[in-house]
Amino acid sequence: MTAARVYLSANFQTNEEDRTVRNEQSVRPEAITDEERRTFLKLGLKITGLMAGGTILSLAPIGEDEAEAAFDLQNYRRGTNYKPHYGMVIRQNHCVDCEKCKEACKKTNNVPEEGYRTTILERILEPEPGVKDRVFMPVLCNHCLNPPCVRVCPTKATTKDPKTGIVIMTYHKCIGCKTCMAACPYNARYFNEEKRAIDKCNFCLDTRLSKGEKLTACAAACPANVRVFGDLADPNSEPSKLLRKPDKAVWVLRPESGAKPFIFYMND
Amino acid sequence: MKISNKTLLVALVALLTAGLFVVTSQAIGGDDDEEDGGTIIFTQPVKAVVFEHSIHMDMGLECDSCHDDLFEMAAGTAEENDDFTMKSLYEGKYCGACHDGDTAFASNTRCTSCHIGVKGYERMNGGGEKKEGGHH
Repeated sequence: MTAARVYLSANFQTNEEDRTVRNEQSVRPEAITDEERRTFLKLGLKITGLMAGGTILSLAPIGEDEAEAAFDLQNYRRGTNYKPHYGMVIRQNHCVDCEKCKEACKKTNNVPEEGYRTTILERILEPEPGVKDRVFMPVLCNHCLNPPCVRVCPTKATTKDPKTGIVIMTYHKCIGCKTCMAACPYNARYFNEEKRAIDKCNFCLDTRLSKGEKLTACAAACPANVRVFGDLADPNSEPSKLLRKPDKAVWVLRPESGAKPFIFYMND
Repeated sequence: MKISNKTLLVALVALLTAGLFVVTSQAIGGDDDEEDGGTIIFTQPVKAVVFEHSIHMDMGLECDSCHDDLFEMAAGTAEENDDFTMKSLYEGKYCGACHDGDTAFASNTRCTSCHIGVKGYERMNGGGEKKEGGHH
């Protein structure tokens, strides 16, 4: 007998005008029924990507030991040696856009009014005519395993921290060319006038983690435990446990970019 | 052409009366909010939660269904209480008296039916969403 893992993706588009995310056409994880998932399980196939239009990117048979966990984290992380490997799981359906995360981030990391390291996107879905469904989507730097920003930086001002996998900035090396901003699939970078350099989320590495705090400012401030932060190299960390929840769809944003983002989304 | 003082006076009175009528009719027209309590926006402990009196009254609820046992009939009073939290709702207090999964959808489901967020709050106040600069 074989089993399978289902890895789903949700696309999103940002509207620069109102920063509202709309994509009625995208495949939403909730649109995949248990029955469909079971059918896939029976087929013994692994779906590693499901595009917005429903194109299956790859199918591969997998062994029976890999039971019903929604997402194969170890396989996704293969080839990395970060310890701890920081990441975040976002329990999207619990977000109510109170923006306490945003406030905490700005205060902790001295983020100016004109920029952000994390924000909340909004998407109004219309599952049936006349019914409006509001979805709030927290976004931040995805600390990609294959970060396009790092690849394009001409001065190596942005790098992946060899210990933790956090995508960090070395401000004095930044020449402000903004190539990384254009390369980022997640719009997670801004130009900080005061620093005269690009600034971005670093999981509060300098402001909190290095001082012994276990959580980022946004995760600590969230009243609904939407942002579950921790070491994904540790199978017993909270985010690792969440990703192992059976029959829960897990997705990442813009998987087609090939960046291998390390912020995971689920409705839990 | 000469206009008599009397004609002027009549015209003036007519204008004022018309003006008064417009003002009065506006006041009557805008009375809806006061009659059913209108839209309540809670901003504590999180920004923001919307409560529409009209939706609830259309479902057949009366004023005394909620007032004054669950909520005092003055906007802002519930928010002053430390126990005005989701936890209290799960225990059957405030909105949770009906939103228990039985009478109405449970308080721990359909979060964004009531939670409109900072974005919704800013939209309701006509401010639109704040521009976030520095990007592209």
